[in-house]
Amino acid sequence: MTDPTNPLVMTDSVSLAPGPLLQVSDLRVQFATDDGVVKAVDGVSFNLERGRTLGIVGESGSGKSVTSMAIMGLHSGKNTTITGQIRLDGEDLVSASRERVRQLRGAKMAMIFQDPLTSMHPYYSVGHQIMEAYRVHNKVTKQVARKRAVDMLGRVGIPNPAVRVDDYPHQFSGGMRQRAMIAMALSCDPGLLIADEPTTALDVTVQAQILDLIVDLQDEFGSAVIIITHDLGVVAEISDQILVMYGGRAVEEGPATGVFGQPGHPYAWGLLGSMPRLDTGRVDRLKPIPGTPPSLINVPSGCPFHPRCGYRGEVGGDRCVTEVPLLREIAPAHLAACHLTSDQQSSIWARLSEPVSDLSETRAGSLLASSDPANEVQS
Amino acid sequence: MAALALAACGGGATSTTGAAGPTGGSTGGSTGATGGHAVANAGVTGIANPSDHKGGTLTFASSSTPDSLDGGNEYYAWTLNFNRLYQTPLLTYKSSPGGAGTTMVPGIATALGQVSPDGLTWTYHIKKGLKYEDGSAVTAGDVKYAVERTYDRGVLANGPSYFPNILADPTYKGPYKDPNGDLTSIVVPDPYTIQFHLLAPFPDFDYVVGAFGQTAPVPKAKDTGAKYELHPMSTGPYMFQSYQVNKQAVLVKNPNWTQNEDTEARQNVDKVILTLNVNADDIDNRLISGDLDVDSAGSGVQAAARAKVLGNPSLLKNSDNGFGNREWFIYLDSKVAPLTNVACRQAIEYAANKTDLQTAYGGPVAGGDIASTLLLPGMGGYSAFDLYNAKSQPGGDVANAKKALTTCGKANGFTTGLAYRSDRPKEVAGAQALQQALKAVGINVQLHGYPAGNYYGNFAGAPTFMHKNNIGIAFGGWAPDWPDGYGMLWALTSGNSIVPTGNANIGELNDPAVNKLFKDVASPKLTLDQRSAMYGQVDKLSMQQAVILPEVYAKVLIYRPPTVTNAYIDNAWGMYNYAVLGKSS
Amino acid sequence: MITFIIRRLITAIFLLLVVSVITFAIFFLIPRLAGQNANELAAQYVGRNPTPAAIQQMVERLGLDQPLPVQYWHFLKGLVAGENYSAGPSVTYCPPPCFGYSFRSQLAVWPQMVSALPVTVSLALGAAILWLLGGVSIGVLSALRRGSIFDRFSMGVALAGVSLPIFFTGLISLELFSYKWPLFPNVEYVNIAVNPLLWARNLVLPWVTLAFLYAALYARLTRAGMLETMNEDYIRTARAKGLRERSVVVKHGLRAALTPILTIFGMDLGLLLGGAILTESTFSLPGLGQFTVLAIQNQDFPEIMGVVMLAAFFIVIANMLVDILYAAIDPRVRIS
Repeated sequence: MTDPTNPLVMTDSVSLAPGPLLQVSDLRVQFATDDGVVKAVDGVSFNLERGRTLGIVGESGSGKSVTSMAIMGLHSGKNTTITGQIRLDGEDLVSASRERVRQLRGAKMAMIFQDPLTSMHPYYSVGHQIMEAYRVHNKVTKQVARKRAVDMLGRVGIPNPAVRVDDYPHQFSGGMRQRAMIAMALSCDPGLLIADEPTTALDVTVQAQILDLIVDLQDEFGSAVIIITHDLGVVAEISDQILVMYGGRAVEEGPATGVFGQPGHPYAWGLLGSMPRLDTGRVDRLKPIPGTPPSLINVPSGCPFHPRCGYRGEVGGDRCVTEVPLLREIAPAHLAACHLTSDQQSSIWARLSEPVSDLSETRAGSLLASSDPANEVQS
Repeated sequence: MAALALAACGGGATSTTGAAGPTGGSTGGSTGATGGHAVANAGVTGIANPSDHKGGTLTFASSSTPDSLDGGNEYYAWTLNFNRLYQTPLLTYKSSPGGAGTTMVPGIATALGQVSPDGLTWTYHIKKGLKYEDGSAVTAGDVKYAVERTYDRGVLANGPSYFPNILADPTYKGPYKDPNGDLTSIVVPDPYTIQFHLLAPFPDFDYVVGAFGQTAPVPKAKDTGAKYELHPMSTGPYMFQSYQVNKQAVLVKNPNWTQNEDTEARQNVDKVILTLNVNADDIDNRLISGDLDVDSAGSGVQAAARAKVLGNPSLLKNSDNGFGNREWFIYLDSKVAPLTNVACRQAIEYAANKTDLQTAYGGPVAGGDIASTLLLPGMGGYSAFDLYNAKSQPGGDVANAKKALTTCGKANGFTTGLAYRSDRPKEVAGAQALQQALKAVGINVQLHGYPAGNYYGNFAGAPTFMHKNNIGIAFGGWAPDWPDGYGMLWALTSGNSIVPTGNANIGELNDPAVNKLFKDVASPKLTLDQRSAMYGQVDKLSMQQAVILPEVYAKVLIYRPPTVTNAYIDNAWGMYNYAVLGKSS
Repeated sequence: MITFIIRRLITAIFLLLVVSVITFAIFFLIPRLAGQNANELAAQYVGRNPTPAAIQQMVERLGLDQPLPVQYWHFLKGLVAGENYSAGPSVTYCPPPCFGYSFRSQLAVWPQMVSALPVTVSLALGAAILWLLGGVSIGVLSALRRGSIFDRFSMGVALAGVSLPIFFTGLISLELFSYKWPLFPNVEYVNIAVNPLLWARNLVLPWVTLAFLYAALYARLTRAGMLETMNEDYIRTARAKGLRERSVVVKHGLRAALTPILTIFGMDLGLLLGGAILTESTFSLPGLGQFTVLAIQNQDFPEIMGVVMLAAFFIVIANMLVDILYAAIDPRVRIS
């Protein structure tokens, strides 16, 4: 918790329970609709340590936002079934009461959203909204909360924060607004920050600043960060770990270097292959992944990716159609859910990635490459 | 109570005014629309709940606003009736059921007018010792002033125009415009005598003086012109406590009033409240529930309550179905072709379905009895002739109608316009009924509805409008200014009564024989019976000329709560006499 | 803000002038165009069987023989500077705003309107409070419990409230609660200064009848607004911050959903103050609405002009206040 007399001084920002800060085990989220049961998230598991960054990538409908909303407890409850476990600091959120989860929201875990203009209330000043966030979880006077708000605004890099604290969201530029949202989210010093598409609505130069800011704050506050995006460049920039989701499932997860350097799942190959690269010459056409995302009501049998996978033939028989591949370790702490053998995966990837140099030693991707919208996955 | 004797039939036989009025209703009871239960008619055959009981509050309600509460500025029957509670003219109607109620008796005058042999001077004497509500004395000069002020029609617009037409000084502009002037045709030789000088003999002059409020005295010092109605100086049993325009008037007992001041009024209750602009159906419901005593309009209950009353024996006990002192009829304009030919007009008289018309006006109970004359039953000179078989063939006489059409050269019928008041449901229904009946003989009428507010001012009552738009038929009605032949017939049938706007002789009858009768009837040498006979002739001649198609002698169905005393349908007003009402508790 | 108000006031005055010209034209020009002359126009105000002299007197009194622009100028002058009138023996001064004298009763119009105004204000304000509280709360609850029995039932009742004509509900309520079971007998307006309890008691039926109609409307509007607002992103953020659900609904949701409702409320109240004609006629309340009906029935021009201008004034002011209120509530509107 922060010291109320001097908000900038941090004591240890999270409790010292042992183990990862966030443990998600076999999380399933289903929505009952008139058309059928939507299996938005179908058995996702991952851990996240304090001070580390997890990047979740996937196309629209892959279940990444649903996962983060489930962690925050923001699903409405009606027609929604959530099973599995979400342990935040050792406490399971799925079985906890809604009131308990509400108390943790904002205090121990916070979220920022894609469009900061619509995500902030247009009638209240930015300072008011930050103060509100702070006072929900801290019994302090308005003056103290206001000071905290001004400090946070300054901390996220907004010039003249003592004046701007009374401005309204529409009076900020896009980037400044997002900074203000971050300030609001971090005002209570949460151990976990979830950023859902934080840079998608911003232009290029501002994107970089926001990402830098997130990294900075993470270093300073020691929080864990989940960043959700469909932009590989963003993910590559700041993630320690990557989780690739497809059709509501995790298809590949592991350290960023491993997932970018030696991806094991054909979907990941497709994602990376559809990126333009600095080290090759100019190509006339980018290579998108053929086909469309799967229906979450009638998920394809077997491997959910099989209708779009070009390597089905390399797997014996029709295992891809009949048998659901489980996550299998293909390298230390690096898992992929595919029926191809590790050897098959390495050779295919080697073929796909030549004649480039060995990428495994560099952080994959680069800023300039990530700025190209063609990076984005077909949806 | 001896003064209000139960006079079933009667009439002032020797006075120069007065008529044998209708004998309080056609029958003892009229059957309602359902079940053969009879309206009790206690207030039609005699006085309902006669009582001397003093005390209580009498509540009136009106669904609209009065034309004025200033006696000098009134023309509506109900406001003139109500006016009797606080103002007293020189003469007034006798408070009595039956025909006696149509005669003039002294108000603040000592006797009826003394007329000079040439018929040009009428003299009245004022009772001595009469006081206004504030104790000041009433003098003849106040009566003269009261008449003078009515000459300024810009300020007091609503009253009748008899004085300017009859008195010898018609150009007088009134005391407001002409403060130093003087109405020379009225002379006040001493404070208790007043003389009127006429341009020509007018045998009904007592009615001119007594049927309205224009001779109720007005002290000049207290006259505030248009604002006088907010608090007129009372010479009646009650006086104004307050009057909020459009809302409510409250009257309380006048401490300076004595019975001698007005023998025909009573001071039975402590307070009188008149509430204005009350929803008409609300009025009926309050009457039935006993929360209200009188619907001041006096035209009977609305259609919804009528059904309630007629179907409920306990309500019928407190109901009266009497004559409403008016006739509804249809004008046939003799100056609009082809109605210029009398036979074409007669065709319409024959062809109309009188029963349907009666139904349109509310049937026998709320509409009235099928009519065939202009004079009302009971009026001097009335005889029940029926030129067009209205009573013998109430469904219409198609055969004679067709014959008449042939006579006027329109055997295949013709087309003409029909005017009616579009905001009066009875006339809407009547117009449609007539249209249908006439169609059967080939007469096509085009309906033209106009708002009641300026129907007489701008449409039916404007001859040029009728001519220009080819409208030969117009719905209308007439309540006589006073209940005799003159009051009923002059405005409708005299050639001299046709005016460019506000015309009531919409038939535009200008018959030399009729005009001569009106001229001759003014002779001071004639007796009342002789004059009545002449009016009877006017009636017949006019009906022969077929300028008016009579529909019904109107009747009203009035409900009163049983706590109201001394109620009877007065033949002068066609509604209860308000000056004598009281409360039993 | 001050310049904004001043500008709106000037526009308002201009608008009122336009309204007065139009009313004047309708009343006087149209009969002229239809071929009526001054005498015919005056005839309807002079009672039965007027003599030509009487009509002429009325023409002069009402100024109907003067050219139209002169008449209009007279009217304007009276409005702004007052005018001297003779309603009889003496000359009285009619102070501004002078709407002249009734064509029929020759009584001053403005005092009549002033005495009718408290009735309409009592009716409008009382009903407004009822319908605002009732309608909005039902709308909010329905939105929050969307699809539930409560939601369906209340929206069904709201549909009835919006569809049933007010004279129908008024007459039914009178029939039931005034005549049959006399809980509210003799619904008549009583001045609040005279007897506040009776004033309130007699207004209950009109209040409820009027409020029923509007509450239904506002419940539906609020429900729709809430449903839309609760889907906004900032609601999600509010929850993400850990706010209590009630704070989310009221502070974040309702506050945003109410803004269009307040706009409409201002307009509705402004219109009602000009005279709730149907309600006043049904319940016999002597307010501006009833005054309007009578004026029209009587073709009484000064009275008609008076109520039209007053009603226009209320609407213009209501509009202006609503705009100001909107700017005060929604900061995005301020910067222009």
